[in-house]
Amino acid sequence: MATETPDRVGTLAMATEPEHGPAKDLYRRIDGQLDYPTDLLDTPGLLHGAILRSAHAHARLIRVDVSRALTMPGVHAVVTAEDVPGLNRFGIVVRDQPVFCEERVRFEGDAIAAVAADSRAEARAAMAAIDVEYEPLPPVTEAVTADRQPPLHDGGNLIAQEVLDRGDLEAAFARCSFIVENEYRTPRQMHAFMETEGGVAIPDADGGMTFRVGCQSGHRDVEQLADILGLETEKVTVEAMATGGAFGGKDELTIQPAAGILALKTGRPVMIHLDRFESCLAGIKRHPVSVRMTTGCDAEGRILAHQVEAVLDTGAYASLGPAVLENFLDHATAPLYRIEAYRVFGRLVYTNNGLCGAFRGFGGNQATFAVESQMDALAEKLGMCPQDFRRTNLRSLGDTGSRDQRVRWTASPAEVLGLAAASPLWRWQEDVGGRWLQGTGMAMGSQGNGLGDGLPDSGGGRICLTSEGRFRIEFGFADYGQNISDAISRMVCQGLECHPDDVNVVLGRSKGPDSGPTSASRSSVLVHSVLSRALPQLKAALCQRASELTGLAQEALSPGPGGIFYRQEKVLDYRELAGNTVAGDLVVDADLDFPVAPDQGQPVGRYLQLLIATVARVEVDRLSGRVKVVDLHHITAAGKVIYPAGYLGQIEGAAVMGLGMALTEDMPMQDGCYQADNLDQYLIPTFQDAPTQRVDVLDDTADDDPFPVRGVGELGIEAVAPAITAAIEAATGVRVNRLPVSPGDLLAEMEARESSQ
Amino acid sequence: MATVMTDRAEVRVLRPDSAREAVTLARQHGGTYVAGATWLQPSCERGRNWPPFFIALDARWPGFRGLQESHQGLTIGALTTLDTLSHHPLMKEYLPCLTGRNGLMNLLAGPGVRRLGTLGGNLMAGGDLTALAFALDARIQLVGDDDPRGDRLVWRYPDLKSTDLISALVIPDCRRWRVAVEKLGHRERFSPTRATIACVYDGNRFRMAVCGEGGPGRLEISEAALNDGAASSTTTADWYQALDAELEGLGWHDARLRLAIRRVLVHQHEELSDGD
Repeated sequence: MATETPDRVGTLAMATEPEHGPAKDLYRRIDGQLDYPTDLLDTPGLLHGAILRSAHAHARLIRVDVSRALTMPGVHAVVTAEDVPGLNRFGIVVRDQPVFCEERVRFEGDAIAAVAADSRAEARAAMAAIDVEYEPLPPVTEAVTADRQPPLHDGGNLIAQEVLDRGDLEAAFARCSFIVENEYRTPRQMHAFMETEGGVAIPDADGGMTFRVGCQSGHRDVEQLADILGLETEKVTVEAMATGGAFGGKDELTIQPAAGILALKTGRPVMIHLDRFESCLAGIKRHPVSVRMTTGCDAEGRILAHQVEAVLDTGAYASLGPAVLENFLDHATAPLYRIEAYRVFGRLVYTNNGLCGAFRGFGGNQATFAVESQMDALAEKLGMCPQDFRRTNLRSLGDTGSRDQRVRWTASPAEVLGLAAASPLWRWQEDVGGRWLQGTGMAMGSQGNGLGDGLPDSGGGRICLTSEGRFRIEFGFADYGQNISDAISRMVCQGLECHPDDVNVVLGRSKGPDSGPTSASRSSVLVHSVLSRALPQLKAALCQRASELTGLAQEALSPGPGGIFYRQEKVLDYRELAGNTVAGDLVVDADLDFPVAPDQGQPVGRYLQLLIATVARVEVDRLSGRVKVVDLHHITAAGKVIYPAGYLGQIEGAAVMGLGMALTEDMPMQDGCYQADNLDQYLIPTFQDAPTQRVDVLDDTADDDPFPVRGVGELGIEAVAPAITAAIEAATGVRVNRLPVSPGDLLAEMEARESSQ
Repeated sequence: MATVMTDRAEVRVLRPDSAREAVTLARQHGGTYVAGATWLQPSCERGRNWPPFFIALDARWPGFRGLQESHQGLTIGALTTLDTLSHHPLMKEYLPCLTGRNGLMNLLAGPGVRRLGTLGGNLMAGGDLTALAFALDARIQLVGDDDPRGDRLVWRYPDLKSTDLISALVIPDCRRWRVAVEKLGHRERFSPTRATIACVYDGNRFRMAVCGEGGPGRLEISEAALNDGAASSTTTADWYQALDAELEGLGWHDARLRLAIRRVLVHQHEELSDGD
């Protein structure tokens, strides 16, 4: 891809210089040397746990007989619902999921019992010896009609429904010259993280429990686990270790409840590590969405009316489904565009299908796929260039958001669009009648930071000088591959002008500061805000204490690599400084209430907003209908880049995840049973499928912007799918509204078009 | 000795000294032959259902590994790895369409699997090479109770028993033939096969075969219609219909995939006819 960029736009490239490139830890991670929680196999006294899961999607549980399993070799404990010491329920939003099922199983994979044994094989053998009697019940599998089916929970199968509306929709549609109505479907995507769900529960002598696990919110997990284990929250500790990927799939509790109960029962550490089959079966997925969108514009291409009806299938339990619904609806209002009237309606339903919950993009990218497809459909109906059509309707900097809330962008949407329109990818080769049809398409997206909608959202961090003379920076976030430690280390080195060896970043300990969940693209915002306040305070405290110890003027002192400097000469190293200071004197805590629109009683949507336009170039095989994504060009406006390698990795990685959702990834279900059970059937993109990518950064962040750094963990996935389907349409004339794109369906459409020409 | 329980409890691996002994053991114990085990491992793990016996095949047995030219053509030992096939000079000479970066071999699984997986295993599992073997009119050599016998490769041939053991594949001298083979996968590499389609032109007749989701098979009716069509009243539409019906009869029930196969075969036919 050519590298022409306007002066105001930077193109990110992987830096190779040590001072700009990835930290040493990243190479350890790539080499497989970084220990994950499931590597803690040398924990003294470790037992291995296994979870017995339901063989039916929906059944009455008649009998669970563990007597034979208890006599199996190596078995130390077998636990069922009767052994849960506290609350036999968990769930981030609604505590509706049993740790172990009592009278009913609601999905194939529901937990019924668990075993702790000397080895994993013995635990599995004992698990197979548990005698379970079921009375199968008809499964509820169709999300669209689920709320009219027999209830899976008290209160019925409709968990939540919500309407967002503005203006007189009927009148607005009456004035439309062009209306398009389409149905869209998005797949049940799996996170497919490298390290499947797992970790260790370690009981202590005082009746407490420590969890070393892969998770995304240690502090929140402590509350749920304490309730399940019947312990005071002070007795429960969660250490969220660096884990091999999460992407939302470890936001909910996974193995912790069963491991904790087994550890309590045996008094020994218990590790549970799901294998890939079990992870596929029991793990959280992205919500499949069915949505009908009707959108109309006037003769000049101004969008007047927009109606949305959507159903999200959350499976047997809610998890974060209600929050996903909210974010879906927010994105379904088409927040980038001025629309006179809309009615956006969505339902979240229980079914006996697999569990769905948090996943990078969190409902937003499903909505954006449909919204951006509608933009292209209207433009085509109008006979207008899709870019011009978008330009006609885009909001401007300073406009309120689609829900009349104040929003804070870091660049103008029109400028992002302009840069996408100037992408070199539009200059593709002429079709010369070869086997591969080429096409280029684009889509736009916006993504907010933070939990949004006024949900409680705050967090903090701590920085101190330790007795070893190192700066210890603590946040509650988990590192699941985004390498936020490196970003934190760089910010500290920049703020204190010290060396990376002076910095020790500690993450994910529930006994440390609560930074809130590692989700919603909120970590970078929080880290930057906390450090912006904490570092100057610490710097002043360091210099003051150094002044007291050296007798030099405080104003003339400054921290630097390894110690305090006076006129570019080190006069006191950090160890010496710490050794001569009362412990606790050089500690700074800071926190942040996550920013919401300042002038709203009950905030809606998200205040801090990011923008992206993705241009995709594809090739479509005339013979088979298979699609290859050749290039992706992203134009991002997401504040200042503080860690280029991390920014690039997030955008490119998320885009490949979006590519998978668009082309190959789905966990189809039949009668409540998954039709794929491992990564040889569930196909994620390989390196050979990853396109050439270019990431441009448009940084118009105002100098006085109090939040110049934004989180980009989800931005890259936002517009990929509709950009790819737009490119497919450019290549073949066929618009695909159902993901993943079926090569067979596409080929049949292409054949039909050829026959009619 | 203390009992150690594993996920693969009660699996015994038998190591015969010869191919003939392997066949005898298979007949006595009903065991499963194992060589590279790349197909066996995931399929057994899937159901946690391991057979009681494996009979380990040994690539050092005479004729089981390597490539050799003869008056019959090219003989390839069944335990020759896929990786060897993708780089071997004789393969470049006989079947250049398999080698090189874009050759079929590079589309079979991943490098790690190719280093373990064998030709025999691929054929027995109905893998990607099956279609080519059919289209080439290749022959398999079996190790039986009696003398080794050769037969034309026919999948689920009534005489081919589960205890029969392939020792080699013999392909005719195809150096002057035109050969096209195409794998339709879901992604660029390491993809399960939707369909692998092979078309061979020996200067006289076209031969076509498929393998994949619908199972392996030679498209003899379609071949006949194509080869003899010029002398009869067969139209293109007739041929499409015949091909579609033949594929469906073989077990290819997805009409969209049959459409893709048809388009690929037409493309291959045009390519191989070019210059005639």
